[in-house]
Amino acid sequence: MISASSILSKRMLNSSLLKILAPAALALSLMIVGAPAAKADVLVLTGATVHPVTSDPLKNATVVIDDGRITAVGTDLEWADDAEVVELDGLHLYPGFVHPATQLGLTEISSVAGTVDTSEMGSINAALRAEVAINHDSYLLPTSIAGGVLSAHVMPNGGLIQGTSAVVNLDGWSWEEMVIRSPVGMHIEFPAAAVDDENNDDLKTIENILALARHHQQAMQAAADGDAPAPARNHQLEALAPLLNGEQALYLRANRYDVMEKALDWAADQGFEKVVLMANPDVQYLADRLANDGIPVILRNVYAMPTRRWEAYDMAFVAPARLAEAGVRFAIADSGSGMDIANARNLPFHAGSAAAHGLDKADALKSVTLWPAEILGVGEQLGSIEVGKRASLFAATGDALEPMSRIERVWIDGKEYDLSRDHGRSLYPRYRDRNAEVQAR
Amino acid sequence: MIKQITAASLAAALALASGTSHAQWTPDIEAWNSPQPEQADAVVFRNATVWTADDTGILENADVLVRDGAIDAIGDSLRAPRGALEIDASGMHITPGIIDAHSHAAILGGVNESSRISTADVRIRDVIDPDSINIYRQLAGGVTTINLLHGSANAIGGQMSVIKLRWGDEPDALVIDSAPPGIKFALGENPKQSNWSNDDPRYPRTRQGVAQVIREKFQRAADYQEAIDSAPSGRAARENVPPRPNHEIAAIAEVLSGERDIHSHAYRADEMLALMELAEDFGITIGTFQHVLEGYKIAPRMAEHGVGGSTFIDWYAFKYEARDAIAFNPALMHEAGVLTGIHSDNPELARRMNLEAAKAVRYGQVDEHEALKMVTINPAKQLGIDDRTGSLAVDKDADLVVWNGHPLSVYSRVEQTWVDGSRYFDREADQRMREALAAERAELMALILAEDEASGGEESEEAPAEEDSAPGFRSFASHLTSGMPQPTHLHGFAAHLLGYRPSELSHDDFCLFHFE
Repeated sequence: MISASSILSKRMLNSSLLKILAPAALALSLMIVGAPAAKADVLVLTGATVHPVTSDPLKNATVVIDDGRITAVGTDLEWADDAEVVELDGLHLYPGFVHPATQLGLTEISSVAGTVDTSEMGSINAALRAEVAINHDSYLLPTSIAGGVLSAHVMPNGGLIQGTSAVVNLDGWSWEEMVIRSPVGMHIEFPAAAVDDENNDDLKTIENILALARHHQQAMQAAADGDAPAPARNHQLEALAPLLNGEQALYLRANRYDVMEKALDWAADQGFEKVVLMANPDVQYLADRLANDGIPVILRNVYAMPTRRWEAYDMAFVAPARLAEAGVRFAIADSGSGMDIANARNLPFHAGSAAAHGLDKADALKSVTLWPAEILGVGEQLGSIEVGKRASLFAATGDALEPMSRIERVWIDGKEYDLSRDHGRSLYPRYRDRNAEVQAR
Repeated sequence: MIKQITAASLAAALALASGTSHAQWTPDIEAWNSPQPEQADAVVFRNATVWTADDTGILENADVLVRDGAIDAIGDSLRAPRGALEIDASGMHITPGIIDAHSHAAILGGVNESSRISTADVRIRDVIDPDSINIYRQLAGGVTTINLLHGSANAIGGQMSVIKLRWGDEPDALVIDSAPPGIKFALGENPKQSNWSNDDPRYPRTRQGVAQVIREKFQRAADYQEAIDSAPSGRAARENVPPRPNHEIAAIAEVLSGERDIHSHAYRADEMLALMELAEDFGITIGTFQHVLEGYKIAPRMAEHGVGGSTFIDWYAFKYEARDAIAFNPALMHEAGVLTGIHSDNPELARRMNLEAAKAVRYGQVDEHEALKMVTINPAKQLGIDDRTGSLAVDKDADLVVWNGHPLSVYSRVEQTWVDGSRYFDREADQRMREALAAERAELMALILAEDEASGGEESEEAPAEEDSAPGFRSFASHLTSGMPQPTHLHGFAAHLLGYRPSELSHDDFCLFHFE
C-alpha cells in the first residue's frame, strides 16, 4: 500500500519542479505519472485542410508526427520513405478540443448512485484529487472523443473547499496514464449568501480553514527548523499549502455577478494571485474588471437561461463576445455537471453559437482549444497544431464548430483512436444492418 | 409584481441602470408591455432561400407572399398586392416555423399530477401560461408551435394541448382547436417510480406491471363505452340507472375509439413493443413514442405499427434506461420509414432546435432538408396539424422563420419569426425596445432622484452609495422575487436564476429527475 506521505511528496516534487524549470519539469512530471505509450514510427497526415488555430487554415497541408508529438506543419513538407502516410482527402484537421471544466470520468449513469463520484459530502475536501476516481473505461469517454473532445480539465465538486483538479487525456489504460497535469488548481465555491452577510458561516468556515492551514504550515516549518515538535499530520490542511504558497491556482466558483465580485474581492484580500474565475454568463458584467485585473475566466455554459427573467433573450449567447471585447482571457465550457457531463461532445457548439452572437469565429475556435489549454497551464502541450505539441488531433468533414460536420478520424498523442469504441458508432452499423435485413424479408 | 417595488428600490435600480454598463440587465420585454403584433393584410418576403419542408424542396432567390395570415404564393418575382409589406430577405433563409412536439414550457403550476397511476382526466388546456417568458425566447429561436404535455409520472397521464406561440394572447387563443386530442402515456422508470424513495409505494413497480395497468384501464374503458352505448334510451331509460360518468375512463374510451392519440414517453425497446402489442389488441395505433430512445432497435416494427418517433437527438446516460440512447436514432428510424421528429423537452434547448436537427446530419448523414423536416413538418404530422402548419405551401398558416444564414448552421441567427402572418419576433425590434426601455428607465430615475432631493433625501438610507451599485441591484431583485412562490423543485441548474415565475422553470421533474 502506498502511504499518503509518499503521494504527497511526489506531488510536492512535481509542483516545485514545475516552478523552477517549467519545460524540463514537464518531461519529468510525465515520467513520474507514467508517460503515454509512445509511437516510434513517423506518422504523416497529408492532404488535409489544417487548422493550426494560431494561424490561418492551410489548404492541402501536412502534419508530421514523431513519437506522439508534432514535428512539422506545412504545405511543402518532405518525409522519410518509411513513414506511415495517411491521405486525408481534404478533411479538416483540428487540434482536439480541450474541455475547460467537466466531471467526465467521474460518473456513468447519473441516476445510478453507485456509478456517480461527482460530488463529495462535507464542507472541506481540500485533500480530494478528482483524477483518482476517473474510470478510464467509462463509456462516456469514447463518446466524448468521437465528438473531438480529446482532453479535459476534470474537477471535483461538493462542499466549499472542493479539492484539486487535473487535465487529462480522455484516452488511456489508467487514470495515472491519462493525467497530463495535476494538480491544476484548488477549487473553492464562494458562498452566495456571503454577499449580503458579513458574518456568513460558510465563508467563515473557509477562512478558518485557510488560517489553520497557514498555522499548520508555520508549525511544520518550525518543526523542520528544529524549533518545535512536529504537529500532527493533517491532509486537508497540508493540501492547501501549494495554494497558500502561491504555487497553485485558485479556481474560484461563483454563479452570479454580485457573488463573483465579492469572491474576487475576497480572493484579493486573502492574497491569492493566481485566480481563475469559473462562472456562468453573468460574468460578462464584470468584464472590464477582469480584463484590468488579468483574471482568466472559464465560462460555464453558453446554452443557459438568462440569469434574470427580465434579461435579454440572448444574454447568455453574447457573454463570450462581451468578454472578448473587453479583453478578458477566457475559455468556453458547458455547465460541467448534470446532463452536460455525458454531452461534453457538444462543447464546440457552445463556441459556435457564441460566434453567431458576436464572437469572432477564429476566437470561438480558440475558446475551446488554445485558450483553455493556456489557462489550465498546458498551453505548451495542447490546443493548437504546432511543432512540439502533442499530436492530439481530429479530422472532420467541415468546420469543427458546425453540428452538421462529422468527425471521421482521431489521433491521441499520435496514435489513431478506434472510433468504433464509441457506443453510438458501434450500435449504429449493427442496427442499420439488422433493420435492413428485417425490412428485406 | 411590479407594484411591489418601492420607490426607493426602484431608484436604486435606476441609479444602477443609468451611467453604468449594466443597463443591459433590464430590457423587461414582457408579454404585458409588448403589444400584440397586428396581422398585415399582405406581406411579401423577397429573394430568400426558401426551405419548404415539402416536395417542392429548397428554392433559391424565391419570394413568399402572405395574405391574411396564410401563405398565398411561393415563387419567383411574385406580384404583391398594393400596400403589401415588402421584406428584403436577400441572403436570408426562410423555413417553416419550428414545431416542438414535447414541451412543458408554458404550463402554470405542476407539470405532473403525480398521484394516481392514471390521470387521464386532467387537462393541460386548463393551465396554459400565455405570458411565459419561455414563449418569447422560443420565438426568438424560431419556434412557432409547441405541444404542451403532462409529465411522465403516470402510466396514463393528462390530456395535452397543442398551442401556437401567440405570446400574450388569451390562453384559449393559443390553442390549435383543429389539432386532434391527445394524451400523455409513460412507460419505464418514471411510472414505476424507480429513481426516488417513496414512503407509500404505488403499484406498479415493474415494466410488466405498467403494461398490465394500461391493459386493465383499456378494458375498463371498453366496458364503460359499451355500457354507455347499450344503455337504454327513451321510455326504457326510466327503468335503468345510466352508467355513472367517469371523466378519467371517458378520456381513455376516446383513445379506444381513435378520437384521442396516445403520445407515450418511452425509452426501451421492450416497453414500446409491449404497448404496441397492447394497442393492436384493442385495434388502435399509437400516435408517437416520445423520447423513443431505443426506437432504432425496433424501427421496422414501429414502421409496421405506424407509430411516429419523437426523440432527443443526443441525451443519454442520465438513467439506466437511457444507456443505449444513441444520436443515430433519428437517422435509423427515418431510414426504416418511421415518421421521425426531434423535440426539446426543455425550455432552454427549445431555443436552438435547428441545431438539434443539424445533428441528424452529423449522426447518420440525414439529408439537410430531411433533417429540417424533423423539427417542422414531421412533428406537424405527428400532432395532426400538418394541414395547417409545418411546411411552406399555399394556403397553409404563415408560420415562418427568417434566418440570417443556413438554418442548420451554428453561425446563423433568427432575424424574424412570424405566426399566422403576424411578426411575433423581430431581432431589430427587440434591440430597439431594449434601448427604449433603458432610456425610459433613465428618465424615471432622474424624476425620482429629483423628487428625493426635493424631499430632503429622507430615504437615503435605502439609496445606494455612488460606487456601490450592486446592493441596489440586489434589493431591486429581491423585491421582484419577494412574496412570489418559489419553485419547489429547483434543481442545481436553476438555483441561481432570479425573478422567474415557477411555471417558467417547471418541467417534468420525473423525466429530468437527475438534472443537476
